[in-house]
Amino acid sequence: MASDRTAGWAYVRDGGDVYQGADGVWMLTSADAVQFAHRNPEIFTSGPAFDSLGSPVPLVPLAIDPPNHLRFRKVLDPMLAPRVINAMEDQLRVQIRELIEAFAANGSCDIVTDIARLYPTQVFLTLFGMPLEDRDMFIGWVEMMVENSTGGAAPTEEVMVAAMALFGYLQNFIDAKRAAPGDDLISAILALTGDEAWTNEEMLGLGFLFTLAGLDTVTATIGFVMLHLARTPEMRARLVADPALIGPTIEELLRLELPAPLTPRFTSREVEVCGATIPAGSHVRLCLATANRDAARFEQPDVANPDLGDRGHLSFGGGIHRCLGSHLARRELKLVVEEFHRLIPDYELAPGAEPRVVWPSGTLHLESLPLVFPKATA
Amino acid sequence: MKISIDAQLCTGHARCVLLAPALFTDDERGYGVVIGDGTVTDDQLEQAHKAVAACPERAITLA
Repeated sequence: MASDRTAGWAYVRDGGDVYQGADGVWMLTSADAVQFAHRNPEIFTSGPAFDSLGSPVPLVPLAIDPPNHLRFRKVLDPMLAPRVINAMEDQLRVQIRELIEAFAANGSCDIVTDIARLYPTQVFLTLFGMPLEDRDMFIGWVEMMVENSTGGAAPTEEVMVAAMALFGYLQNFIDAKRAAPGDDLISAILALTGDEAWTNEEMLGLGFLFTLAGLDTVTATIGFVMLHLARTPEMRARLVADPALIGPTIEELLRLELPAPLTPRFTSREVEVCGATIPAGSHVRLCLATANRDAARFEQPDVANPDLGDRGHLSFGGGIHRCLGSHLARRELKLVVEEFHRLIPDYELAPGAEPRVVWPSGTLHLESLPLVFPKATA
Repeated sequence: MKISIDAQLCTGHARCVLLAPALFTDDERGYGVVIGDGTVTDDQLEQAHKAVAACPERAITLA
């Protein structure tokens, strides 16, 4: 898996559409099986599935099941809708431009450390109205929690320490916003009244989820997209000449190199999926990665082909838990690709570099992606 | 031909809004909404097919 995801996911898929793995966890690997689970959230429940992340509060709204779930999404969806992201775009473009300009004259960079680790956290801080100076502290906490998430076992002490530090930071921030509201997402939620009002615990859970789900995932995908473009100069040349290809290229790489390939669920009752019977109370993994490579749904499933357009992949999940930050994540990716190639259209992997994917890991990601390029003048 | 969206299946990926702006708009939550009665003219067919293919929920029908 670390060097070849096509072979790795083919191995997972070979077990069948639906099967129980050696660890006892049920795997849903076909697009139809995954879609069935997405469409039946009352059977494939989310509530108990995220305990290993070490959150002391429920992860709102990911770990909330129906019918309560809708109460949160009704409020959150409009706050992260495409039209809201459109309004943020100029500000986010300035931020990525500054990150790229910082190394453009050097003739070399590491995409992971110079862009991918920094930008998603800056965007998150901007969205929440938090000080950008806190960026590196945030990154430390999140990387500790995500890199040590085990997907089932109890959290380690180190993870709990990082989680509590983040928890304390979020609580202080919420208290400050309650005292002095601003023009930001947290203040907008705090302003809700009556039946719509959120508890303090729910606010913390939301902040926690955003940091766990919204930072390292984008970090990882920026790495995968830039790695692919570094390795395919002909694709890159087409993309520089025709920026309309940027969108479909990103979609294809999201489809094949998704950072969160497996989604945990627990069955609330016995259920039949694609001919297999899963007992009540089973731990299930929705394998989005293999669903995205399902030959029954996708032509040339293992090839990134932007000429085939956006093919409706499941990398942002589906059903009621569809990634809340999907519109923001896509915009971040687009801005990175646009601005990087505007300033640095020609580049290659640094001599001797062999980027490897960290695996096993909570999030599939590159450790490092060193590039070299002609020195640019900003 | 007409295009329609199953509101029970739509969960707001908003791919249709981006890829077929002549046929779909988005509501306040970012969910796709068919513009007008969904009639697809010949010069809108390419957009329509793109929207159908790109919907992760398979919620869009062209018939």
